[in-house]
Amino acid sequence: MNFSWRRARSVALKEYKHILRDPFTLAVTLILPLVFVGMFGFVIDLDYKHMRVYVRDNDQTSVSRRFLQEMASSGYFDLTPVHSPAEADQALEKNGSPALLIIKRGFGRNVRSGNPETPGQIQLLADGTDNVQASIMGTYLQGVIQKANAVFARDNPELSGGAERAPNGGDQIRSRFLFNPELNSRWFIVPALSTIIIGFLAIVLTALTVAKEWENGSMELLLSTPVRPAEIVLGKLVPYFLLTFFDVLVVFVLAVYVFRIPFLGSFLFYMAACWVYITGALALGLVISVVTRQQQAAIQFAFAVGLLPSFIFSGFIFPIENMPAFFQYFTALFPQRWFLLISRTVFLSDAAPMTLATAFGAIGLFAAAMILLAVHKFKTDVEP
Amino acid sequence: MNENDIVISVKNLVVAFGDFHAVDGVSFDVRRGEIFGFLGANGAGKTTTIRTICGILNPSEGSVTVDGKDVSSSTAVLKPRIGYMSQKFTLYPDLSVRENMYFAGSLYGMSPKQIDERARKLMDFIGLPQRIPDPVSHLSGGVKQMVALASSLLHDPELVFLDEPTAGTSPQTRVAFWALIRRLAEMGKTVFVTTHYMDEAEYCGRIALMERGKIVALGTPQKLKEQFFPVKPLEIAFHAPVQNALREALKQAGIESAVFGNHLRVRVSDRAAFERACAPFAGQFSVKEVEPTLEDVFLQAVSGREAK
Amino acid sequence: MPAVRAQVHQVSKKMGRAQALWQVEDVFGAGQVHGIIGPNGAGKTTLIRVLAGLLHPDEGTVSYDEGGTVLSAADVKRVTGYFPQEPSLYPDLTCREHLEFFRDLYDLPQADFERRAEELLHATGMAPFTDRPAGKLSGGMYKKLGLMCVLLNRPKLLLLDEPTIGVDPVSRQELWDLVYGFAGEQMTVIVSTSYMDEAGRCSQVHVLSSGQMLAAGTPEDVMKHFGVTDFAEIFLNHERK
Repeated sequence: MNFSWRRARSVALKEYKHILRDPFTLAVTLILPLVFVGMFGFVIDLDYKHMRVYVRDNDQTSVSRRFLQEMASSGYFDLTPVHSPAEADQALEKNGSPALLIIKRGFGRNVRSGNPETPGQIQLLADGTDNVQASIMGTYLQGVIQKANAVFARDNPELSGGAERAPNGGDQIRSRFLFNPELNSRWFIVPALSTIIIGFLAIVLTALTVAKEWENGSMELLLSTPVRPAEIVLGKLVPYFLLTFFDVLVVFVLAVYVFRIPFLGSFLFYMAACWVYITGALALGLVISVVTRQQQAAIQFAFAVGLLPSFIFSGFIFPIENMPAFFQYFTALFPQRWFLLISRTVFLSDAAPMTLATAFGAIGLFAAAMILLAVHKFKTDVEP
Repeated sequence: MNENDIVISVKNLVVAFGDFHAVDGVSFDVRRGEIFGFLGANGAGKTTTIRTICGILNPSEGSVTVDGKDVSSSTAVLKPRIGYMSQKFTLYPDLSVRENMYFAGSLYGMSPKQIDERARKLMDFIGLPQRIPDPVSHLSGGVKQMVALASSLLHDPELVFLDEPTAGTSPQTRVAFWALIRRLAEMGKTVFVTTHYMDEAEYCGRIALMERGKIVALGTPQKLKEQFFPVKPLEIAFHAPVQNALREALKQAGIESAVFGNHLRVRVSDRAAFERACAPFAGQFSVKEVEPTLEDVFLQAVSGREAK
Repeated sequence: MPAVRAQVHQVSKKMGRAQALWQVEDVFGAGQVHGIIGPNGAGKTTLIRVLAGLLHPDEGTVSYDEGGTVLSAADVKRVTGYFPQEPSLYPDLTCREHLEFFRDLYDLPQADFERRAEELLHATGMAPFTDRPAGKLSGGMYKKLGLMCVLLNRPKLLLLDEPTIGVDPVSRQELWDLVYGFAGEQMTVIVSTSYMDEAGRCSQVHVLSSGQMLAAGTPEDVMKHFGVTDFAEIFLNHERK
């Protein structure tokens, strides 16, 4: 008995009917991407704005006032002046996640002097329990300082050789962010959402299918016919592939047309990567289903190998470069990491597809391995 | 029939789920101390009827009274008098027999002392040792059913409803179980039992045969056999391979026959018509009369109904 | 082409901790209707699954032949039809969709399929219900649909695990009529049942109890062997020992 396209097609057709007649699953599949995109695109805004900062200006010069004005107009900070050290202490103790900015006496004089030996000094006290906000505050403050320096230099050309020279004499950090010049977090997150949605949804969808057939008894009947594992695996992949691909297109359209995220790379390459990644994720779901043979166990497995790595090991939340060396290698096992890399790169840069050959190869290898494993592990008897 | 003896009275009961009439116009009375058998296939409406009498489901039409009280309006009064052993859930598999009993008894507000006392009596009654330490899941199917019966009897109900108590148990368990049912009836309890095993119906005082929500026959097993089989069924043995030809000839004459291995079983209402149909095969088979079974009764009752 | 004969040789099989089958030795002759009778837990399902090739014996062998020609495993799969005891159809697919699904699984030509489907729908009286989903069929109709799916392939060995359990007497009668309608020179039928009264409907009875084959033969011979007049007595007596 050889592989029969007809049998594979009939399994696919049957599966397609199951999908159409199960309104709940269908609704979840179609609505979930919208929920994810809505949640990450609109609600969770990783750009910090209007962070409350108490200000104790011990300098009280036109320079310090000018600096505070610059800081307030950036939009990142809401400034509240305090007038005594006691008041400052009180403010720090009373309010949640507060920060205190102290401008030291002599700030204006030092800045005006332009002497690198005696820079203008400011101190930021931030609440380290929210380390993300604290470090972002520091970063943004750097930006404000740079801008203030530039403005000061422009307004007081007699004191410096131009913007090139730091009037406060401190080390000057100059960063230029390529591809996402405004460091817009939406640009960073939305292209990555396909990774999460496929990495989770596709695995769960197929993880249920074979287990369901074991549980409702149809597998026993199926196995008594000439149908072969490869035919069932292929037949089950195709309809869910189309369903998941539809989700990917929805996310793509929302990203490009609603969030106005630039798509600079090769569309065809991106689609090819999607197809391979979807196939791998679906096949992984099938492996889970084939091995567990129970829907409840399958769904737990799917959560463990789908949802968690999608968020944690993909680089979606934690940058991979910041992980310990072991975990950096460990994440390489998860196709989510590679696809996330591909997604972000093709959206925001016009890099040649060849630069992503490793990532593409990795998801391809994963998909092939999973399909083979699903077919290989598929039981053709009802032995426990 | 003495009016005072009637415990359960069901009149024109209809239970509908949407368009589907699970019970479709059913009327019957059950007397005190009777074993009333409710027979029919899965989905015939047996469980739905039981649930309505127990007050778990409300009738869409018609009425159910227990001791003259309408069930749906007096559930609180009636529930303590009813013992119900359901077809699906019986016992918690991870609890021991004793723990299950305590739980069941506590639902009826019994004190631990009362429960202990009753449990001792009931374990004697069902013929099991007093202490079974294992969780229920370790017990065999038969023992499990016995324990489930005991736990439905804890609060000493007058009315006992058993929904397919013997489904999936061994012949020996079934015999033992029916012996218990008979003893319950002798103790004056009214037992209402459903089953899809036709041969078990022989043990019942009266039976109702149910099919697609309707009762197609009602009476004592003996009465029903007489009613539906004024002429006894025939069993035909063959001396020559004329089985198929004879079946065909009988079919032409409108006579139902069923293959039983090497025999044919024939339900006839008109013996003369049968003789005529078989005449061409004379000498190639022999005929003997056999006792009708309740299965024959059911087939006859349903085919009669369909003919109408 | 004659029907298939199955020969079970010293088959033992453990399911979990229970010895489901123990040294079963039996022959299921071609073209007959065989009934495997026994109470729940006797090993009927295990034996049927072993015969269907869905379980592999721990010890012993099962061989199949067609008029003396031994069949390979692939051939057996091709000519065997099996319908399990547990519900195994897709509740959301209609009768017609089930038939079409099995047509493709069995790779049947459309012309053959149409002819056979027509014939089966007529014989089962299911023609008016072709558009009804399997989940909405009564117990009897559900079993008939399952039987139709399996019979589409014209199996030479038909294995039915408790086809009549929980089915009303009318549908039970119809199922047996169907079985006898298709059995014969073309098909061997092996049916398991826990209804002792159904044993008499088979041409050969195989008595299974606690995994052991106690006796096999015509219903009359088997009853004579145990000295009983009723099959239920066999198990009552046997269990008492």
